[in-house]
Amino acid sequence: MAKIGVFTCWCGENIARNVDVEKVSEAIKNLPGVACSMNYKYMCSEPGQSLIASQIKELGLTGVVVASCSPHMHLKTFRKTCETAGINPYLIEMANIREQCSWVHPDKEIATAKAIELIHMAVEKVRRNHALAPIKVPVTKRALVIGAGVAGIQAALDIAAGGVEVIVVEKEPSVGGKMAGLSETFPTLDCSQCILTPRMVEVGQHPNIKLMTYSEVEKVDGFVGNFKVTIRKKARYVDINKCTGCGSCWNACPLKGKIPNAFDYNLGNRGAIYIPFPQAVPARPTIDAENCMRIKSMAKGKELCGICSKKCQTEAINFHDKDEFVEVEVGAIVAATGYQLYSIKKEQENPNIKGYGEYGYGKYKDVVDSLQFERLISASGPTGGEPQRPSDHEVPKTVVFIQCVGSRDNAKGISYCSKICCMYTAKHTMLFKHKVHDGQAHVFYMDIRSGGKMYDEFVRRAIEQDGAQYHRGRVSKIEEIVVDGKKKLRCYGADTLAGQPCVVDADMVVLAGAIMPSSGVTSLAQKLSVGYNEYGFLSESHPKLRPVETNAAGVFVCGACQGPKDIPETVAQASAAAGKALIMLSQPMLTREPEIAKVDENLCAACGACVKACPYQAISKEQVLDRRGNLIKMTSRVNQGLCMGCGTCVAVCPSKSIDLIGFTDDQVYAQIEALCE
Amino acid sequence: MNSETTKNDSFEPKIIAFVCNWCTYLGADLAGTNRLEYPANIRIIRLPCTGRIDFNLIVKAFEIGADAVLVSGCHPGDCHYTAGNFHARRRWGLFRELLQTVGVDMQRVNFSWISAAEGAKFQKLVTEIVEKTRQLGPYTAYHDVVEKA
Amino acid sequence: MENELRNAIRELLTQKQVDVVIGYGKVGVDGAIGALFITDPSEVDAMVWNDECRQNLAVHLTRPEVKALGKAAIVVKPCDARAIVVLANEAQIDRDNLVVISAPCTGVKKADASGHKTDELEKKCLSCVEHVPQNVDVVVGATDAAQALDAQNQEVAQNRSAGHQTRLAELRAKSPEERFDFWKKEFDRCIRCYACRQNCPLCYCRRCVADKNRPVRIDSSASLKGNFAWNILRAFHLAGRCIGCGACANACPAGIELDLLNLTLANAAQDQFGYVSGKTLGEAPLIGTYDTTDKEEFIR
Repeated sequence: MAKIGVFTCWCGENIARNVDVEKVSEAIKNLPGVACSMNYKYMCSEPGQSLIASQIKELGLTGVVVASCSPHMHLKTFRKTCETAGINPYLIEMANIREQCSWVHPDKEIATAKAIELIHMAVEKVRRNHALAPIKVPVTKRALVIGAGVAGIQAALDIAAGGVEVIVVEKEPSVGGKMAGLSETFPTLDCSQCILTPRMVEVGQHPNIKLMTYSEVEKVDGFVGNFKVTIRKKARYVDINKCTGCGSCWNACPLKGKIPNAFDYNLGNRGAIYIPFPQAVPARPTIDAENCMRIKSMAKGKELCGICSKKCQTEAINFHDKDEFVEVEVGAIVAATGYQLYSIKKEQENPNIKGYGEYGYGKYKDVVDSLQFERLISASGPTGGEPQRPSDHEVPKTVVFIQCVGSRDNAKGISYCSKICCMYTAKHTMLFKHKVHDGQAHVFYMDIRSGGKMYDEFVRRAIEQDGAQYHRGRVSKIEEIVVDGKKKLRCYGADTLAGQPCVVDADMVVLAGAIMPSSGVTSLAQKLSVGYNEYGFLSESHPKLRPVETNAAGVFVCGACQGPKDIPETVAQASAAAGKALIMLSQPMLTREPEIAKVDENLCAACGACVKACPYQAISKEQVLDRRGNLIKMTSRVNQGLCMGCGTCVAVCPSKSIDLIGFTDDQVYAQIEALCE
Repeated sequence: MNSETTKNDSFEPKIIAFVCNWCTYLGADLAGTNRLEYPANIRIIRLPCTGRIDFNLIVKAFEIGADAVLVSGCHPGDCHYTAGNFHARRRWGLFRELLQTVGVDMQRVNFSWISAAEGAKFQKLVTEIVEKTRQLGPYTAYHDVVEKA
Repeated sequence: MENELRNAIRELLTQKQVDVVIGYGKVGVDGAIGALFITDPSEVDAMVWNDECRQNLAVHLTRPEVKALGKAAIVVKPCDARAIVVLANEAQIDRDNLVVISAPCTGVKKADASGHKTDELEKKCLSCVEHVPQNVDVVVGATDAAQALDAQNQEVAQNRSAGHQTRLAELRAKSPEERFDFWKKEFDRCIRCYACRQNCPLCYCRRCVADKNRPVRIDSSASLKGNFAWNILRAFHLAGRCIGCGACANACPAGIELDLLNLTLANAAQDQFGYVSGKTLGEAPLIGTYDTTDKEEFIR
C-alpha cells in the first residue's frame, strides 16, 4: 500500500501569496494513498528538508511529492533528501506550483485549484515510481586517438601526461599531419617543424603512448568506457622494430627520386621505399607496393630488384607483409582526423560541390594550391625553401594569391568560411617577399578576416612593410600566355574598391582552397556513431557548452575535423578533448542516469523500429537464447551505456514493448487520468 | 458569434500540454520567472523529449475531457537528444492527416516549437489557445463519444 | 495461368526446394477461396488462381505454426507482394528462405454480403497500377494484359479519382463535424472482434497494445470511446507500412470502411514524404527515420 507524503512549499511569499497552501494541504490529504500532507515556508531549507526526512522515517513513506518550484531547480536537492532519509532517490516527484502556477496566475482561487491538480498528477505519478539504482559502467583506462597531426599529438601527449595509456592511430607512415609540411606559422613566423618536431618525437617515445602509424580504424564496437576497436595495420613491408632507420634502403632504391611524394603534394619525389620526410616519426621507411618493382614482379611469379632488402643489415624488409588486424580495448576515443584542401579542379567527387575550371588548376603547372606553396617555401621542402615555380623551376617575381577559392561560395556548394586562409595568405606574401626581395605579391580577397591576438597587426605588416598588393575582388579567369618567350599566367581580376578591372600577369598563382574534412571521415564517423554535417565536419554535442564532446558518449573531437581552425585553436581544443577524456577515465566506474529505456524482451517482435529511431544507436537487435544456447527469438535490447533516455523508441514501438523508466506509459497515463474530473 | 460567446462565458477550457523537458518546459519556467501571466487552464505533462510523445496520448487527453491539446518541444536542430523532435515532427505530420479524416477538430490540436528562451512565446501561445478554445466551446463531440461508453 | 502456376508449385515441391506452399484454394464449406497449405505435390491441383483470390496470404507468413512447417513458398497477387517486402524490411521473415510466386493480375472481384462473387471489381483495383509482379522470385504467365491495365489506370491513380480514393475524397470534402458523425456511426458497429488485426499481414506484434493493461491505453470494451481509440491506433500503427491490400476492411464483419483510414495515411506518406511502402527491399521505414527538411507549416 502506497504511503505518499506531500510537502507543499510556500517559497516564502512566492507561492503562498497566490496559492492557499493550507487549502492545498487539506485537499491533498484526502487523496488515496496520501499518508501525510504538510506545508512549510521553505522546503528546500535545512529545516524543510529535515521535515521531509523525519516524515519519511516516521511514517515509512513509499513516495514523496514536493510541491514547490521547477524540478530543474531542486529535483536533485530533494532526491538527496530522500536518499539521506533512507528511501530510494527516485521515489520522489515534484509538482511545479511556482514557475508554472503561483508566478503566472494572480487569482488566488484559480491558482490554488490548479496547484491541487498539479499535485494530484504528481501523486499519481509517484505512486507508480520504482526504486532505481544508478547504472554503473566499468571503464577501460586507455584512450584511442585517431589522427596524429598537431591535434592528435597534443591530445595524446596530454592524456599520456595524465597517466593514462594512449593508442595513437595514424593513417600515414609518419605522425605530424598537415602541420609537419608547413613552412612558417602566423603570426610569429616561427618555423612549423621547429615547434612540432619535438612534440612528434615525444609522441614516438612517451612510455604511455603506443603509436600505430600507417594504420586505420576498421571497426568500432562497444560503448562509452568499453570500446573494442579493430585497427588495420596496413602492410608496410618493413618491420619497424627491426629497422634502425639507417637509410641504406631508401638511398639504394633504383626508383629513388622518381615517384611523386604525397607529403610534398607531388612537387617533390621519393623512391619506392621511402620515408615521407627526414624528420618522420617513426623514422622508419615504408614500401609503396604500387610502385615497388619487387612486389609488382611477385604478382607475376618473379623476383626482380630486391636491392633494399640486400642492403638491409637487420633483415627488416619483408616483401610478403600483409595487412594485420589488431583489436584494442579503450574507454575513450578522440577523433582528430584533420582536414584536406578542397580539390579545386573542375571535376569533383562530391556531386554537390563544383570545381573551378576557370583557374586552370591541374592544367597549368604554375597554378598551385596553398599547401603546395607551403612546401615550396619550406626549408625542408623539395626546393630547399627557394620559391621555384613548378613548370621551369624559375624563381617567380610576380605571384598572385587568390583567397576564398571554394569557401563562402554558394555557387560552388561551400557556404562556410575556411577561417585560416586570410592569415596564411598574408604569411605567404611576407615569406615570398623575404625570399624574393624584388618580387611582388598580389592578393585578391573578398574580406580580410583577421580576428585573433596579433592577427590583424600581422596582415597590416604584410601590406605596409612587405608591400603586398591587396585587391578587393575576385579573379574571373586565368590564362596561360607567353610574354617575351616566358610563360605567364594572366589573371583577369576586378578591384571593386577602385571600381575597375585589374589584370595581373603573374609568374605563379596560389589558390587558397577551401578546407574540407579529410577523406574517409564520414565512414569513420559512422563507425563511431558521431554525427557530421553536409560537408563531413564532425558534430560536437553542443556548439557552446559541449564543444569537444559528441553525441556518442565517450567520443571526443578536436582540430579541423570538427571545423576549420588554426593551430592555436586546434591545440587548445585538443587539450580540452584530452581533459574531457581524462575526466571520464579517472573514474573507477561511470555512473549513468537510470532513467533510460527498457525492452520487454518477451513481447518485443523485433521489428527494429526503435533500432532505427534511436538517436544514439543505443538499441540493437539481439538473440534471446534458451539455456542450451538455442535461439528462442529475436529482440531489441537497450545498451545501458549508450541510452540517454529520450524515449523516442517508446513512441515508435507499436506494441509498447519498450518503455522509458521514469516516464513509463503507466506513469504518464496516470498523470492524464488524474486530470479527469 | 455573440450568442456563442455568452453561452461559453462560464466555460473554462481544459488544455493538456505535452512538452519536452529541455525546451518548452523551461520556456514555461521562464514565463514564470518573468511573471508573464497567462490563463490557468493549461496542465503540463513533462516528458524528456517530443520524441517520447506518443500520438495516443493526444487521444487519451481528449478521452479524459480535454478541450484542446498542445504538443511542444525544441526547435529543429535544438533537440537535447539531437533528433527526437525530427522524429516527432514526421509522426505529427502523418497523425494530423489521420485526425482530419476522422473529423477531429484540428483547431483543438496544436503543435509548436518553444525554446527555453521563449517564455513570452509560451505565454502568448497558451493565451491564444485558451481564448480560441473558449470561443469553440467544450469539445462535446468527442466528450459525447466518451460518455456513451 | 492457373495450370502454369500449379506446375511451378509442383516443381518446387517435387524438387524439395520448399516444404510447404501457401496458395489459394477452395477451403470454405461453400467453396469460398482462402489459404491452402500444400506439402504434397499430388495435392497441387487443389490450388486455384482466379478473380476471387481476394485474401492477402502474406498474413500467414509471420505465424509461428506456419514457420514451423519449414521453408515456404507463397502465392501472392502483385499488389500483395508489397506486404512481403515490408515484412522482410521489418525482419519478420527471412526473405532468402522464402519463395514468392506471383502471376500478373487483372483485378479481383468484390464479394457480396454472403461472400459470393459479384461482377464488380474491388475498389482498390479500380486505381491499381500494380498488376505486374515486382520483388517476387517466380513470375508465371504473360504480363501484357497486366501492363495494359497498369497503363490504363495510370491517370486515375495519379489523380486519385477512382475506387476507394473517390470514397476518401468524398469524405474529406465534408465538414469535420460530418466526418466525425460518419465515423461515429461506423465505429458504433465495431464489436472489437479484432478481425481487422488478425487479417492484416503487418499486424504481427506478439501482444497488441490493445491487449495490454498496465496501463490501459485503449478502453477494451466495444464502446464508442474505445472504438475511436482503437481504430485510430490501428490505422496509425500502419502509417508508412500499410500496403493497401484492404484485408482489414474485407474482414470486418460490421463492414466498416477501415481502408479509408489507412488510405489517408498512405496518401499523406506519399504527399509529405514521397514515400510508398513496400516498394523497395532494404528500405528504411517512414516512421523511425526523418529528414531535416520535413514539412512543418502546421507547427507554430
